[in-house]
Amino acid sequence: MKDSRNCSTVQLSGVLVTLAAAAVVVIVSIFILSKTPFSTIYYFFIGPFANKYYLGNMLNSVVPLIFTGLGISFAFKASMFNLGGEGQVYAGGFIAASVALLIPSLPGVIGIFLSLLVAAVCGALIAGLSGFFKMKWNTDELITSFLISNALIYTIDFFITGPMDDPTNNLLATRKIASQYHLLRIFPPSSLNISVIIAILAVIFSFWILFKTNHGYELRLSGLNSEFARYGGINIGKYIFLPMLWSGAFNALAGAVSVLGTTHCCIKGFSNGVGWNGIAVALIARNNPAAVVPAALFFAFIEAGANSAMINADVTIEIASIVKAVIFFLITSRVIYNSFRRKALV
Amino acid sequence: MQTCLEMRNICKTYSINGRTVNKNVDLTVRKGEIHALLGENGAGKTTLMNILYGIIHPDSGEIFINGKKVFIDSPLTANRSGIGMVHQHFRLIDDFTVAQNVVLGMEPRHGLFKFDNTKAEKDVLSVINKNGFKLEPNAKISDLSVGQMQQVEIVKMLYRKADLLILDEPTSVLTEHEIQNLFIRLKKLVKTGKTVIIITHKLKEVKRLSDRLTVLRSGKVVGVRNTADVDESEISRLMVGRTVALKPIKVETEIKEEALKLENVVLKKRRQERPILDNLSFKVFKGEILGIAAVAGNGLSELENLLGGMVRITSGRLLINGQDVTNEGAAVFRRAGLSYVPSDRLKRGSSIESSVRENIILTNHHRFVKKTGEIDSSAADEFSSKLIDNFNIDADPSTRTGTLSGGNIQKVILSRELEHIDGLVVFAEPTWGLDIASSEYIYKKIIEVKSEGAAVVIISSNIEEIINLSDRIIVMHSGEIVCETKNTEDIDAAVIGDYMLGLKNDFSKVTNER
Ligand SMILES: Nc1ncnc2c1ncn2[C@@H]1O[C@H](COP(=O)(O)OP(=O)(O)O)[C@@H](O)[C@H]1O
Ligand SMILES: [Mg+2]
Repeated sequence: MKDSRNCSTVQLSGVLVTLAAAAVVVIVSIFILSKTPFSTIYYFFIGPFANKYYLGNMLNSVVPLIFTGLGISFAFKASMFNLGGEGQVYAGGFIAASVALLIPSLPGVIGIFLSLLVAAVCGALIAGLSGFFKMKWNTDELITSFLISNALIYTIDFFITGPMDDPTNNLLATRKIASQYHLLRIFPPSSLNISVIIAILAVIFSFWILFKTNHGYELRLSGLNSEFARYGGINIGKYIFLPMLWSGAFNALAGAVSVLGTTHCCIKGFSNGVGWNGIAVALIARNNPAAVVPAALFFAFIEAGANSAMINADVTIEIASIVKAVIFFLITSRVIYNSFRRKALV
Repeated sequence: MQTCLEMRNICKTYSINGRTVNKNVDLTVRKGEIHALLGENGAGKTTLMNILYGIIHPDSGEIFINGKKVFIDSPLTANRSGIGMVHQHFRLIDDFTVAQNVVLGMEPRHGLFKFDNTKAEKDVLSVINKNGFKLEPNAKISDLSVGQMQQVEIVKMLYRKADLLILDEPTSVLTEHEIQNLFIRLKKLVKTGKTVIIITHKLKEVKRLSDRLTVLRSGKVVGVRNTADVDESEISRLMVGRTVALKPIKVETEIKEEALKLENVVLKKRRQERPILDNLSFKVFKGEILGIAAVAGNGLSELENLLGGMVRITSGRLLINGQDVTNEGAAVFRRAGLSYVPSDRLKRGSSIESSVRENIILTNHHRFVKKTGEIDSSAADEFSSKLIDNFNIDADPSTRTGTLSGGNIQKVILSRELEHIDGLVVFAEPTWGLDIASSEYIYKKIIEVKSEGAAVVIISSNIEEIINLSDRIIVMHSGEIVCETKNTEDIDAAVIGDYMLGLKNDFSKVTNER
């Protein structure tokens, strides 16, 4: 008999082995691709920790990944596919910026809360639409979420480059939001800010929802075996719709905290893959909110390492992308994870 | 009589889980006999036969074929020694024809490389005809029924010139009719000098078919007998290790109010004229067991879906405890008083990826929800531990359900469904694929449910089960009720069987008017 604790240690070790394998791949590919492999490896692995600025920025880039990782996990747990993360992140940032720009001068906390809330609600509705369509007409949420997200990206691009563009700077971005709505920086000179605490709270909240509440129980059962859930009297239509709401809300928050905490305005295309990377984070974390944190850390680290190697060594952006792609391939393949898991379980 | 096979002192411990599955097993099979290898699930039968067929290597022991010691290290050497095995799960290629599957691995060739399909079909046809099978050599496997696929597997072994044929639980996937045909063929085969080892845990079949039998229990041989010298209860005692009541003792219960009523229920598939359920009307009362029998494909599974609230009907009405629940979902059915043990235990009856606790609390979980929306985990734990105890389930609340044996999964389902009974319990194929001890347990529970005053519906393709348990019997054929009768002492299983096969439909309706 295995108890669940034993099971989750196995799961955790599975994740660790996968990550170790990924590290090996990085080293091997650097040896193949770089003329100065030792200095490249140095910059890749040590660069992100070189000084407070790099370290803080790397940690700051973990935050949106945690949010999108949670967002995708919620959908995956219910066997729903949300491929619209990118658009939802972008929309979340854009809406948070718009709210902060439109509301009158309020006390900071209230303004921040308001703009996060509106962003989350809008994100929830955007993703929820795909869930609703599936519930009503059995459309494929994978396709609708992707299409809706793409349409949104172009719409928001239009607003940022057109009506809402700030002519006083030469970025394609909205105006800067008022400084009382900035999230407090906690590790200067880096951009790391208190959104990291919001992210941790979100992780705890998600874990609680999924594993401690009735809602989470029904959601997980619907995802694992929807026929069983239906047989037991669970309204499975509800668990097509609600997980998409959660998913969209968390994705939108990823964008919102980036804007309020890091960029202080909505820059064109700022989401830059965070939505997609959320899928990778959720896959590494096996949709477990607790594992989303290390998974996001790992992902941010690889990203920062590749950047650092690019700036300081002879690695080009293409090589950095290849390395990232290989790692992504490896961790999503599940092969290593599963073979390890099987060994540990029998 | 000449000895065909002798296995001596076979020992096998699986290294991955340290489980000793065969302990000094001796098996002697005489030439030209049908030898039944018996035992409960997990007794080690499949392991022993896999050793004989070279799939698994024993830790120690010897094998003699026709008195000569042999070393079998692969199915290929087993084939060469004249041994052929048909596995529990077929190993056929769907896109190939019958002939192509049969010759696979020993194909006739033109020259060195070219596959000779004509010769393959001709050779295979001669094997088929010689042994009285009914197969088209050029039919595709994907177009065959399960029974026909099994024939292909047997033909495949005969093509390989097997003299000793091993069949691992061949009847568990077959209909009654197919079982009869299989048995006729096997008897013919042994007449031509072949030898057969058949694994099963159905006693009726053993008596009907075999000449001698060997019983395994927990990896050890506990008895070797001539079939003619033993009766069913002794065989089951050997298998289980204690006396079992094969026939559940019926109890008379006072018949009370109506719990389930179907009124002119019709179920049609879209764009299909012929209804799958054709104008069904019947009632079930508290304190009685209604058995519904039919051969698979005659509307039995649709009726199950209907009673479980899993499918919408085209017309008609369905009432549970007097409440009209027509076309409502399972949630409403359950609130109206339904408990339901489904035939598909792994897809519908349980979530095998979830823990036993999460399986047990379903339908009861609302009871443990706190004001915060949390599930009170200590209460849920206590609840599931209690049921695990009451139903003797071999598991902890946190065990992953998929790791349990079939019998234990069924007990998990029973514990959940019978924990709270509100007038009506539907059992679909309650003992399908289970061994004797588990079946006995389930029969006991069914009788218990009835004597506590609930209405019971048993949907089953197993006539014996229906006759042994029910107070009233309904037989369906092609979606229609073709027979409705009280279950009296003198009822004839063969007659019920005729109704099931559609050979009789004079509608000798003996209604239970009240
Ligand atoms: N490949 C295997 N590895 C480990 N244990 C096994 C394996 N196959 C079977 N077992 C275990 O050995 C026991 C006997 O299994 P089996 O020979 O299949 O029994 P039977 O066919 O009589 O039901 C069971 O407890 C089963 O769990
Ligand atoms: Mg077996």
